[in-house]
Amino acid sequence: MANETVDTAARRPRPPALALPTEGLWANRKVQVALMILVPILALTALAPLLPLQAPLETNLRAIMQPPSIDHPFGTDRMGRDVLARTLAGVKVSLLVGFSVATIALIAGMILGTLAGFFGGLIDRVVMTVVDIFLAFPSLLLAIGLVAIVGTGLIPVIAAIAMADVPRFIRLQRSQVLSLRSRPFIDAARTVRASKGWMMTRHIIPNTVAPMLVAGSIASANAILVEASLSFLGLGIMPPAPSLGNIIRDGQTYLQEAWWISTLPGVVILLIAFALHFLSDGAREELDPRARK
Amino acid sequence: MTYQSDLAPTLLEVRGLRTEFDTRAGTVTAVDGVSFTIEKGERVAIVGESGSGKSAMAMSLLRLLAHPGRVAGGQVLLDGRDLASLSERALNAIRGREVGTVFQDPMSSLDPVMKVSRQMVEPIMRNLGLSREAARAEAIRWLDKVGIPDPEGRIDAYPFEMSGGMRQRVMIAMALSCRPRLVIADEPTTALDVTIQAQIVEMLKDLTAEAGAAMMFITHDLGLVARFAHKVAVMYAGRIVEFGPVDAIFAAPQHPYTQSLLRTIPSVDATKDTRLPQIPGIPPDMRHKPEGCAFRARCAVATARCALEAPELTARAGDLAAACWVEGGLRAAPQALEPRRRVAAPLDDTRVTVEINNLVKHFEGRGFLARNRRAVRAVNGVSLRVRKGETLGIVGESGCGKSTVARLLLGLDQPTSGEIFIDGLAQMVFQDPFSSFNPKMTIARIIEEPLAVQNWGDRASRAARIEQLITQVGLEPAHLVRYPSQLSGGQRQRVAIARALALNPSVVVADEPTSALDVSVRAQIINLLADLKADLGISFVFISHDLLTVRYISDRIAVMYLGEVVEYGPAEDVFDRPMHPYTRALIDAVPIPDPRLEAARTNAPLRGDLPSPLDLPVGCAFASRCPMATAMCRTDKPRLKKYRQSQEAACHYAK
Amino acid sequence: MIDYAIKKSAQLFITVFGVVTLVFFTLRLIPGDAASAMAGDTISGEALDLMREQMGLNEPLMSQYFGYLRDLVMLDLGQTITTRLPIAEMIGNAIPVTLSIALLTILLTVVISIPLGTVAAYMAHKGRTRLDNLLTGFAMLVDLMPSFWTALVFLLLFSLTLGWFPASGMVTLDDPAMFLSRIALPVLVLSVTQIATMARITRTSVLEILSEDYVRTARAMGWSEFRVLFRHALKNAALPIATVIGLSFGNLLNGTVIVEFIFTIPGIGNLLINGINSRDYQLVQTLIVFYALLFVSINFITDLVYRALDPRVSF
Repeated sequence: MANETVDTAARRPRPPALALPTEGLWANRKVQVALMILVPILALTALAPLLPLQAPLETNLRAIMQPPSIDHPFGTDRMGRDVLARTLAGVKVSLLVGFSVATIALIAGMILGTLAGFFGGLIDRVVMTVVDIFLAFPSLLLAIGLVAIVGTGLIPVIAAIAMADVPRFIRLQRSQVLSLRSRPFIDAARTVRASKGWMMTRHIIPNTVAPMLVAGSIASANAILVEASLSFLGLGIMPPAPSLGNIIRDGQTYLQEAWWISTLPGVVILLIAFALHFLSDGAREELDPRARK
Repeated sequence: MTYQSDLAPTLLEVRGLRTEFDTRAGTVTAVDGVSFTIEKGERVAIVGESGSGKSAMAMSLLRLLAHPGRVAGGQVLLDGRDLASLSERALNAIRGREVGTVFQDPMSSLDPVMKVSRQMVEPIMRNLGLSREAARAEAIRWLDKVGIPDPEGRIDAYPFEMSGGMRQRVMIAMALSCRPRLVIADEPTTALDVTIQAQIVEMLKDLTAEAGAAMMFITHDLGLVARFAHKVAVMYAGRIVEFGPVDAIFAAPQHPYTQSLLRTIPSVDATKDTRLPQIPGIPPDMRHKPEGCAFRARCAVATARCALEAPELTARAGDLAAACWVEGGLRAAPQALEPRRRVAAPLDDTRVTVEINNLVKHFEGRGFLARNRRAVRAVNGVSLRVRKGETLGIVGESGCGKSTVARLLLGLDQPTSGEIFIDGLAQMVFQDPFSSFNPKMTIARIIEEPLAVQNWGDRASRAARIEQLITQVGLEPAHLVRYPSQLSGGQRQRVAIARALALNPSVVVADEPTSALDVSVRAQIINLLADLKADLGISFVFISHDLLTVRYISDRIAVMYLGEVVEYGPAEDVFDRPMHPYTRALIDAVPIPDPRLEAARTNAPLRGDLPSPLDLPVGCAFASRCPMATAMCRTDKPRLKKYRQSQEAACHYAK
Repeated sequence: MIDYAIKKSAQLFITVFGVVTLVFFTLRLIPGDAASAMAGDTISGEALDLMREQMGLNEPLMSQYFGYLRDLVMLDLGQTITTRLPIAEMIGNAIPVTLSIALLTILLTVVISIPLGTVAAYMAHKGRTRLDNLLTGFAMLVDLMPSFWTALVFLLLFSLTLGWFPASGMVTLDDPAMFLSRIALPVLVLSVTQIATMARITRTSVLEILSEDYVRTARAMGWSEFRVLFRHALKNAALPIATVIGLSFGNLLNGTVIVEFIFTIPGIGNLLINGINSRDYQLVQTLIVFYALLFVSINFITDLVYRALDPRVSF
């Protein structure tokens, strides 16, 4: 017996399998790549006012539709505005939308999904019927429909995209809770007469957080793409306020004469979405060693 | 035994086989220079615990290892051709045709979306050059040989339509159907129940002997080997530590590991007065393999030399070869007698801790259509008593309802009808300690949970209680800050026991507490439970399919079959003089780790599969498999009746 | 199976009913009403009242609701408010265009993505991680390209610069050659994303199956890796892949709205955007219900087909 203790004490301790693996996270290659993309974009966005750029709304009719140059790395648009400055302002909007939507969806999804999954019965049936109704719409179309009703602008756009995402998070959280509920450690807690509240707060919710955060990272990327699509269709953030979607829409007319107005901001959206997906992929690998193949 | 090895030329010769796995943590050498030979028609058993490299070795022979495993060196000579250096294409002509393989898990080893016929017929057509019709006839012939009822009809079934035992029969038919000269069977019976296991082993032995094929049988169960192997290779940490004829290995093992392993198996007639001999420690972590002999940390006769150099296999008496620096292994040191088992105060017969009366649990099916609503009748009228300080063993095969009884006892499920009285508190030790712990909690919090839920004491007194509990189960307070994933299987089960004891229960229900553990660690847990029983005077309900362990630890035994208790009585009586034919069959199916005793046993294994608990027979539940069943058994249900002083059985023909 | 179909149909019915109700009442919740929202500042007073009368907005809410339900059941979709065109006819004209784009995209996707994903899975299984990582990373990048941006880039490259496809022109089924050349670019744009998605999913499914025990059994019986890959692995992966194709229809519907808008193709997506821009609530309401119905039915059919094809699901 003593032997067993000594022998394993020498074994290299491994991080717990499902806890948030903060050490492993920083060492993950995908997370590193994601941060290599995200950090510079975030820094540029935050420091945009300090950069030697025109203000995003400042026009300069003597320098319209200039191709990319040192002064205007992304060129200028038909009113002589600096496309890079506008893009960075648009990124700010994108990030705000992505973060807000993910936060709303996470919180609402955690609460409703946990209630539905843990208690079942009537709550579950009501919540899931509503969820099914919302999930009956393709996501962008639901957002389009909601924007058509609540109107355009930043807050309505966030609200519309979040409304489309919340049901997905409820469903995810509920399925997590259901599968955790049948795990043997819940039985083990029941054998010591733990209350439902105890099991929910000590056993179920802590084990759902990490996967929900992973899903949140993907949801923020999708929200950024949906906001851009809405703004592109003229249903999101309205000009002159810049958003990546409406900058691209502006450039659509001058695609042949000034290709940079539409294409370059698109590359930025792509990079952000890619980084957020890579981040969640890397995090999932660290959470679930079986995913690492 | 008619077998003569010196006349048969060598079929397979493995020389210095090395298999490596490239993992993130570095290269792991799973098989580290293994050499042995198999003669034509010979049955060789490869025995080892999980992580000993036995399966990796077997899969390396035909290069069936999945990435990141790879054969890193050595030769695999089949009739002189080196399989290790053959091209994939050339090897494909040997796989199936010359070497057949039977895998461990019959549930996952057959393609779920292909009918059995397609999986069997096409290889036969290709390998034996038969037409589709002839190949199909051949496949049916094999299915018949392996004991599939109605083979003409069943050949067009999908695997999911068959039971585990049936699927393993199909696997064997597949492996033998192309008439290989060597069959590799990788733990072919591990996933099966003990009575089915006996049938399968018997059949594999007969069929390979009939076909003249040699067999390499990989198992962790040393007892199983005595039944049919000609030779045995014992593997430990990637190497063969002992190799030789089965009689010699069982009669006079030379390596300390083999010697200890044989001693840890409880025997059918052994005394229960002494503690089970146990091997200290746990198998080495292959990622951080120690220098020198891998077994030295657990070896009583290890010397300074063992830490420096790993010994090679060298010849010993009785045609054996052992890899140990110490001649005679453990016999080199004076044999310490096993300490006597701690015995509790005499049983107080009057006080009953648990009483179960006529317990019934049916799981209702759900659906709009009536045919989907049939109930699974898991427990059908079970009555049992557990006295204070007594251990009740419940044995039976999977699906007999023993785990359901445990869940009902703990209140995890509500009985359909019947009563349960518990004087005091019942607690549980689960089969798989890992999944019964919240991975996000430290060991301290896991043990504390029952106390915290019940608001037991203040923080300081709880901390003291936790420390007391962890030392009581043989661990140290230093373990308390760890997470479950940082402990070994045996340590986790100790933690589970500490947690179960936290609230001073009057009865602890242990559902297969050792079946997820390595063979060499099992005895440690059994001894711990026996000690606790003696020291604390609490009652235990010990549920297991492992009859020898149940016999060792229990005072009384209940044998369950299809939701009913068919026999009940004192442990020794039930084993020595079983009254119910099912009990007898179960005991007969237990492998005895002694080839001479095994050879003397003549009992035929139990035939057939368990009936579905969805529609149970009207009469005796066992009638469909019982060798003594008569017309009365099929119509009249026998009740549990007292036949002897304290032994009860549910059989019309019990005496 | 029958049990399951009954249960699912009941669920489907509740969902569709919920969708209709939700859309109807949400539209009535807008501050002001549809008439004033439509009218903006141009019409007021009596004219507005007249408009309300015509639109039936003066009736009690519940009777409007039941009237709407009755009309839906009778397939009487009414007229657009702005142009007074029959909505049923408009949708009838637009559906073939949108469905042609969607189905051609699915066809192209299946033909390209499944072999691609299978090969990628095989490489991953053999441990050729560098190539596999490169391919999966690239697929993820393509998967995430916003479709409106891809559309513009393709328009710029293939239409405006290389001149391979016309950027404008009539889209009618009467002129199949012209029709195809007009929808070719939209199909291409949608396919790029779909192929990336499906190839990734195929790779994951096949990779998972390649490490199953029965694949090892097939190898142990002497079958070549190639045969095992396409006979066992792909056959087992086919069911989950087919399901995902069905479920990806939602993404495809999202995508058609964007490409129809950019390439000015008269499908339902364009109808919707025009409806929103002209504040034609009658049209928008009908189209949204229509989309939901289409999406839900396809998911329903996918689910049933999956269950019918899988031998493990008993009947």
